Amino acid sequence: MTNLVELLKTPGASLECEDDFEAVNELVRSRGWSDGLPVVPPTARRVEQMLAYCDRPWDEPVARIAPRWGEATPLRLAANAVMAGCRPEYFPLLLLVTEALCEEPFNLYGIQATTHPCAPLVIVNGPVAKELDINCGYNAFGPGWRANATLGRAIRLALVNIGGAIPGLGDMSTFGAPSKFSYLAAENEQASPWEPLHVERGLPREASAITVIGAECPHNVNDHESITAEGILTTLAGTLIATGANDVYYDAQPLVVMGPEHAKTVAGGGFSKADAKRFLHQHAHLPMNRFSKENIERRLRVTWKERLGTAGLDAPVTMVQRPEDLLIAVIGGAGKHSAVVHTFGATKPVTRALKLRDGSYARSIADFKKSTPTPTLPLRGRENLENL
Amino acid sequence: MCELRKRGLATAVIVSEPFLTLGKTQARVFGVPDLPLLLIPHPLGGLSLEQVEGRAQRVLPQVLKIIEERAA
Repeated sequence: MTNLVELLKTPGASLECEDDFEAVNELVRSRGWSDGLPVVPPTARRVEQMLAYCDRPWDEPVARIAPRWGEATPLRLAANAVMAGCRPEYFPLLLLVTEALCEEPFNLYGIQATTHPCAPLVIVNGPVAKELDINCGYNAFGPGWRANATLGRAIRLALVNIGGAIPGLGDMSTFGAPSKFSYLAAENEQASPWEPLHVERGLPREASAITVIGAECPHNVNDHESITAEGILTTLAGTLIATGANDVYYDAQPLVVMGPEHAKTVAGGGFSKADAKRFLHQHAHLPMNRFSKENIERRLRVTWKERLGTAGLDAPVTMVQRPEDLLIAVIGGAGKHSAVVHTFGATKPVTRALKLRDGSYARSIADFKKSTPTPTLPLRGRENLENL
Repeated sequence: MCELRKRGLATAVIVSEPFLTLGKTQARVFGVPDLPLLLIPHPLGGLSLEQVEGRAQRVLPQVLKIIEERAA
């Protein structure tokens, strides 16, 4: 069904509220429907505008979001996108990310409900990243860019409002993380000496794609001194291995974010992405005696029984089990920095291409607008909120 | 666990206090709001083996009762 007037007649589909910004936000706050920040009032007209870029039936769930297992219909997602401040053009990516998050290997239930401070990180690749002006350069993980800030926030609002990730109830994170507000960036493909992440993950370069990773916040890797590939990668490997990271206890796939300058140095040393991964795999390890006695006996010797079950205390504990398990993306502006992004561990990254309903790769976001009807809702009695 | 209960098997989920609400919500969402949730003190991690046994002893009578009831 794509007629909003009819859809809003469904019981519970809409709420009447005073035509006032503060009143709407008080209602939202009292129902727990926010990340704590004020929201853009999701009026019927704004939601309909958001759905102008939706090529699916508006009331047909695209996924169920754990732990509440709420149905993520385009209509509900659009309301959250409006609340987050998204432009309607962002909506196809919100649908795609929602589907990817709910694929089994990602383990969204675990990521949402765990005590660990992880959040879904979204990396956008391909021509759509540029078309939507998603930041891939300076401060890409920080504030200052509408697409990064609001699309990332829409994902969080959907996880809370549809998925029930409410602190202490459905989100049991011991202390959470600032990345739970918004965690989305594009890869700086232009500054990368290597194939982009989505190509590494098996998609054609011309496709636009998202990769979701159940991730911690980035841990910075400062290296202003190394001028060789081996030097940069040695510093990175040292940050990658960490005694308290979940990745050391699981068959995990952490991400290495290379700043463009570090990436250039590494590639300049003749290292392909696969070479860099092999080096990191070989060097990101610690002798078992660097872990606590209890972790050795109750975790490491049990989880990695074959390799460490009876091994001596100087046996190496590796950060990733296979070189290809590492992900590498080039993000950022000038500067001698890279970052290690540890994960929840019990999660696999999911990469999905942006496709039209006929299965072809979307060339542009504008492709999604063609098949949608023109807005049906007139502006009636909502002037104050609509003109914000 | 919810699926097992729907199939008529003796089932119970052992939860520590902070996770009781999450457990209740999951049981309700999956259509078995009467799924027994057996409460033990928090935490579960960082316990000595004796402490783990102590927590197990605490809920053992309830586990046995559920099995006996199902058998009857």
